[in-house]
Amino acid sequence: MIRRQLPRTFHLPRMASLLILAILAGFTSSLQAEKLPAVNATEEDAGTDPTAISFEHDIQPLLRRHCYRCHGEKASEGGIRLSQKESALGTGDSEMPLVVAGKPDESYLLTRLTDDSWGEVMPLDAEPLSKDEIALLRTWIDQGAKWPESLATDRHWAYTKPTKHEPPQVQKKSWIQNPIDNFVLSRLEEEGLKPSPQADKARLIRRASLSLTGLPPSVEEVEAFLQDDSPDAYEKVVDRLLKSKHFGERWARHWLDLARYADSNGYQADQLRDIWAYRDWVIRAFNEDLPYDEFTIEQLAGDLLPNATAPQKIATGFHRTTTCNVEAGVHPEENRVNQVFDRVNTTGTVFLGTTMECAQCHDHKYDPFSQKEYYQLFAYFNNTPLEVKQDAGVQYDFVGPSMMLPLSEEQLTTYETLSLKKEKLEKVLEQKKTSQMKNYAKWREEVTAALKTNPAAWEAKKPESFQSNGGESHKILKDDSVLISGSLPDTSIYEVRFPGPLKSVLGFKLEALTHPDLPGTGPGRGDEERPNFVLNEFTVKVENEKGMAEPVELFSAEADFSQRKYDISQAIDGNRRTAWAIGPQFFKPHWATFRTEEPFEIAEGETLVIQLDQNFGRGRTIGRFRLSFLQGSPMTAGISEEVSKLLVKKKKLSTKQENQVKKFYQNSNPELRDLFVEQTQLQREMDAIQPPTTLVMVEMEECRSTQVLNRGNYLDKGDEVQPDTPSILHSLDSDLPKNRLGLAKWLTSPDNPLIARVAVNRWWAEIFGQGIVRTPEDFGTQSEPPTHPELLDWLAVDFMENDWSLKALLKKIVMSSTFQQSSQVTPQKLRLDPENRLLSRGPRFRLPAEAIRDNALVISGLFSDEMYGPPIMPYQPDGIWKALGRNQPKWVTAIDNDRFRRGVYIVWKRAAPYPSLINFDAPDRASCTVQRPRTNTPLQALTLLNDPVYAEMALALAQRMMREAPEETQESRIIRGFQLCVARKPTAQEMEILKQVFANERQKLAKNPELVKQRIQNLLPRLRDPDLSEEELAAWFIVANVLLNLDEAMNL
Amino acid sequence: MEPTHLTPISRRQLFQRTGYGIGGLALASLLQEDSFGAEKRQDPLAPRPTHFPAKAKNVIYIHLVGGPSHLDLYDFKPELQKRNGELCPAELFEGKRFAFIRSRPKLLGTPDLKDYRFEQSGDSGATISNLMPHLQTVADELCFIKSLHTEEFNHAPAQLFMQTGFGRFGRPSLGSWVSYGLGSENRNLPSFVVLITGQMLGAGSAAWGSGFLPTIYQGIEFRSQGDPVLYLSNPKGIDGHSRRRVVDAVNQLNQATLADVGDPEIATRINQYEMAYRMQSSVPELMDIQSEPEEIHQMYGTEPGKATFANNCLLARRMVERGVRFVQLFDQGWDTHNNVFNRLPTKTKQVDQPLAALIKDLKQRGLLDETLVVWSSEFGRTSMAQGRTNLDKPTNSPGRDHQKDAFTVWLAGGGVKGGMTVGASDELGYKVAERPVHVHDLNATLLHLLGINHERLTFRHQGRQYRLTDVEGHVVREIIS
Repeated sequence: MIRRQLPRTFHLPRMASLLILAILAGFTSSLQAEKLPAVNATEEDAGTDPTAISFEHDIQPLLRRHCYRCHGEKASEGGIRLSQKESALGTGDSEMPLVVAGKPDESYLLTRLTDDSWGEVMPLDAEPLSKDEIALLRTWIDQGAKWPESLATDRHWAYTKPTKHEPPQVQKKSWIQNPIDNFVLSRLEEEGLKPSPQADKARLIRRASLSLTGLPPSVEEVEAFLQDDSPDAYEKVVDRLLKSKHFGERWARHWLDLARYADSNGYQADQLRDIWAYRDWVIRAFNEDLPYDEFTIEQLAGDLLPNATAPQKIATGFHRTTTCNVEAGVHPEENRVNQVFDRVNTTGTVFLGTTMECAQCHDHKYDPFSQKEYYQLFAYFNNTPLEVKQDAGVQYDFVGPSMMLPLSEEQLTTYETLSLKKEKLEKVLEQKKTSQMKNYAKWREEVTAALKTNPAAWEAKKPESFQSNGGESHKILKDDSVLISGSLPDTSIYEVRFPGPLKSVLGFKLEALTHPDLPGTGPGRGDEERPNFVLNEFTVKVENEKGMAEPVELFSAEADFSQRKYDISQAIDGNRRTAWAIGPQFFKPHWATFRTEEPFEIAEGETLVIQLDQNFGRGRTIGRFRLSFLQGSPMTAGISEEVSKLLVKKKKLSTKQENQVKKFYQNSNPELRDLFVEQTQLQREMDAIQPPTTLVMVEMEECRSTQVLNRGNYLDKGDEVQPDTPSILHSLDSDLPKNRLGLAKWLTSPDNPLIARVAVNRWWAEIFGQGIVRTPEDFGTQSEPPTHPELLDWLAVDFMENDWSLKALLKKIVMSSTFQQSSQVTPQKLRLDPENRLLSRGPRFRLPAEAIRDNALVISGLFSDEMYGPPIMPYQPDGIWKALGRNQPKWVTAIDNDRFRRGVYIVWKRAAPYPSLINFDAPDRASCTVQRPRTNTPLQALTLLNDPVYAEMALALAQRMMREAPEETQESRIIRGFQLCVARKPTAQEMEILKQVFANERQKLAKNPELVKQRIQNLLPRLRDPDLSEEELAAWFIVANVLLNLDEAMNL
Repeated sequence: MEPTHLTPISRRQLFQRTGYGIGGLALASLLQEDSFGAEKRQDPLAPRPTHFPAKAKNVIYIHLVGGPSHLDLYDFKPELQKRNGELCPAELFEGKRFAFIRSRPKLLGTPDLKDYRFEQSGDSGATISNLMPHLQTVADELCFIKSLHTEEFNHAPAQLFMQTGFGRFGRPSLGSWVSYGLGSENRNLPSFVVLITGQMLGAGSAAWGSGFLPTIYQGIEFRSQGDPVLYLSNPKGIDGHSRRRVVDAVNQLNQATLADVGDPEIATRINQYEMAYRMQSSVPELMDIQSEPEEIHQMYGTEPGKATFANNCLLARRMVERGVRFVQLFDQGWDTHNNVFNRLPTKTKQVDQPLAALIKDLKQRGLLDETLVVWSSEFGRTSMAQGRTNLDKPTNSPGRDHQKDAFTVWLAGGGVKGGMTVGASDELGYKVAERPVHVHDLNATLLHLLGINHERLTFRHQGRQYRLTDVEGHVVREIIS
């Protein structure tokens, strides 16, 4: 209901009376609340007639939208600036009073908007104001044209450079740890509130640990802190946490929401992609405390830095995380434009706290950004290549630049070994080649003679019979080809039989032919648009009279064309999952040939049986085919048509032609051929060491021109624009290059009024649960005003002065008395500062999704601190990755340590993200998320109670309680478990409740050995401790299940 | 004996226990806002009043994924049939964008065969294909909109547009807007449930996501294999009694924390654990369709234990009966780029009988008046054939491409006039000829029927009041009874 702000002059009695009025009026739903005028918008508006028009919400946006272009900060046509109260309530060059309070008809402003007898109606060259808008202006003037002094100029605070104010004086000086406290306490004192006492030490170290590293402290760390009475005990803890390697993981988790990092493309196909090296870069950058300006530059334009290093290039993955649609029928350019929109909008949100999106289609309604300026920013990002390519037919693939990661030490060694081996082999190969060539002349002579007398030749054969298991009809045509018709089964095996005798058979040719009766003329049957066929296996056997069959081995498959990844060699590899296909070369005939190792004969009475196995599915079968046999002198058989033509030529061959024959000759020697094969194999092994890749930004050599896209439609192009930055913000240094690097440097200029404020505010919100500006994604004119504007500015400037160091900033925040306060809510505080906006107590809020799991992993002792690398797959229920998308990888639940690594490493598939994280408000990462919602739902309860992941942790925790408790008593074990979960010891009441649970369960299990057995299964067998009593453990399991579900355990 | 069961903590108890007094806390909860600028709701799913009296209380929204051929099911075009095989008029092709068609295609009429003919059904004489004989029997309950048009022609973007009013990711779905606007009347089940047959749709879970709305409003998928709701069943070796014991202990301990810390979120957490516990029995009870009488199984054609559309229709009715606000069914398999005349009958056989049964069953239980049933999809299919097929023989298995400029949806029950048809496509069924209805108009109408003014159902995000219908949308008033 209170929609916009907590005004600086926050007087509860007035607020309360308004609320009570609202309650009496029945305004209990937000739906109805929408009807309410902005009761709290400004001091002037307050307490007036609810039908009163709000200058801030009704009039100023209207003026901004329609008038500022010519009568605003940037232009004052006719001497009028409607963005300034003084000018707007004055006269301008015409000396006519623009606004006469209470007298709309005497107000020149209205006249010029409605009456053309005074000249062309305003606004010039633009849509006129609607009737409603005119009426609104009229009523506003009629009601007295109230224009609050606070809005006298329309220069929004966030667009003015922050300055460091002197921290205000306070009464309770002893409370001050650093200037943060001055700003907070001064405000509290103003409102008559006292800060809360310091949190107890156990809670404090837990809060600091979870805040800075996302992990809880160990029992030993808590103990050490409790024992440490030195004045800098707390600071030592903070310094240790800031140095922890887990610091980077915790802050990366937050940043990756902004960067919409995921491991898949999104949309229909949603294939996995490799970009985890970017995630690792972010973790390292936070651990190394990379200054935020460099952090920004490297992510936006690392590739454009002079002598860019590998990590700097990897950093540009920031803008390669966009979704990409490769569904059949997509238009690649539309997809690209959508990706650039996403890059512009994300850049605006993350670094400027500005919602640029509105200016995609029209000038921003509220904020001073024009549509043209939007496309000027767009121009910076408009020079990367298309990321969708038409592959075959209507199949589209994800492409776009990626880079290889540097090799590891071990990989380098292997690579060098292989490379040496290959070098040696190639030497041998050279020798063999030379020696073999000695016989070349003789071979050439003989084979030429054979070619002239009994050359092996192909001849088509008419089949004796055709059968198939798919129930199709067929017809043998005059040219001996077989035409298939009738039903279209998904898969089919054709069988063709040829009776003996047959002499000296050397090979087989399969022709797949077109025919007007076939869909799209073929040669496949399944689809008129893409009449492909997929031949999985081509097999030949000889059947004797008794029906006994013997297979004929086939070699050297060749084809006129093979589809990518469907090479002809796969038709004879004995694997029914690989195949030969011909996409996208549809609508024309194709051939393939297969050779036998030796010539073979088929006697009278024997039958040659050829099978075409086509099991791809969806009717991808051949519509018409013909079989030919190669018969003749074996010596000539292996000779390709091209070479044989050369050999029988009368004219002397050119050097190039002769070399072609030589090469053929060399390949025909089995020894040499083996060496060639080995060479290829080594090469393949070397290729396999190719390091993993990651997606990066790469600028095209030639820049695209950029036009304004009318209504954001990529086909509707308007005026051309050049790269430039919005004029309301700091100026662009003309020395900066007109590319992403120039933009990044402009963004990170200390003159930028937004970047530091926006960043500092987001991190503040991570620590306190809410920002100083409570709309961290938007600092525009519609944002909520900061609760502590001077604190925000102080932090922003201090951040820049300290070399943009996040660690320095966080240290100040967590060292402040403000942070160290107890989070207890007293009735007085609940009344006066219900949401802790004034920071009269310490933060308390539910942990983010990943931290819920990470925290429980550490508590259970299962936690693996392994960092970096490809994404992991811990347990998730079956069927989450159900048949969805293309080339679907399977979810293979890890049973090694990957099962227990931090959530930041879990594979993020956009169409089906890890479900237990989703239950705790993780986004799907399809677009930039600044602030996750924080809900409190039954699904969360079900997750922590029942998810096998948490059941496993509960059993592991039960084992820990039994093993690690200093004494073998119930109390000691409960204390241990309690400390592990929430850092403190249980109260007597809490102890009593837990003891009761344990006692009841013990009693129950004594009669239920079956339940004991089942409970023990909740943990991987290798992790079970055989020394513990199972019956007792099974009872502690329930206690651990309770502990992991405590509100306190899931809250900061 | 088991310890005493805790009842969910009431607000009164909370005030007493924490000693704030009713006034204090009531004020506190009203003063609270959540982190995105909307009013903080102590119970975000509490039922809320509508803007004006609602015609419908619940929605069963059936999305046929892939785009059924409206031309062969509802929008009969004799002219198209007559001109079957002709090259399409140039203006239907030139300058237009299609997902698959690349060269000027031929017109494709519905085959003039008995199975594919259209029947004038019911008193209203609605044209419904013989492929849907059961649906023909409830023709007078249906209100057809034959002039719907959308803005996207690829599946995933069009699904997002249909469900969220925006062709890319990030916006809340219709069902989540409804949950946000109206809350839930059931405290044992979610307010927005999703049921899926066949493959996952291209837009993935974003089609029922909550976008920038709080995640509590997102659709919850009830699965047909494994736990219907994820993590619903107890871990190995924990039976009902032990589960109850755990929930009791957790809530007792949380109450102690509440008394100590005073954070009202803890009270909500306690209530959510109670609801989780109740869901552990209410959901399996709901999903157990075996308990339905035989004649109901006959009527729907259900097969207990399987994942079928018929089962989902019956489940939808059971959910509505139990107060689930928005039930959404997705059924994959309607993307007929080829072989449309062989594939359609397979699909219609799966959905025809259960759809008609659902409408009849809701009616006989007096639920149809307050339940809006919607047949919808992301787009329709082209009047032209896709591919080079010779269209003389239906065995050549032609298909149809995606068509965004005109397609058909129908609504039933929930305050909609039955036996009515609004709008028309042109004589070839290619674009709208009469009374265009945009997706935003449809969504505005659905909200209207639920008693919501679509211009006032807003959520503040990124400095702007967002709505499902963007800045568009006009209620199709003539269909409201």
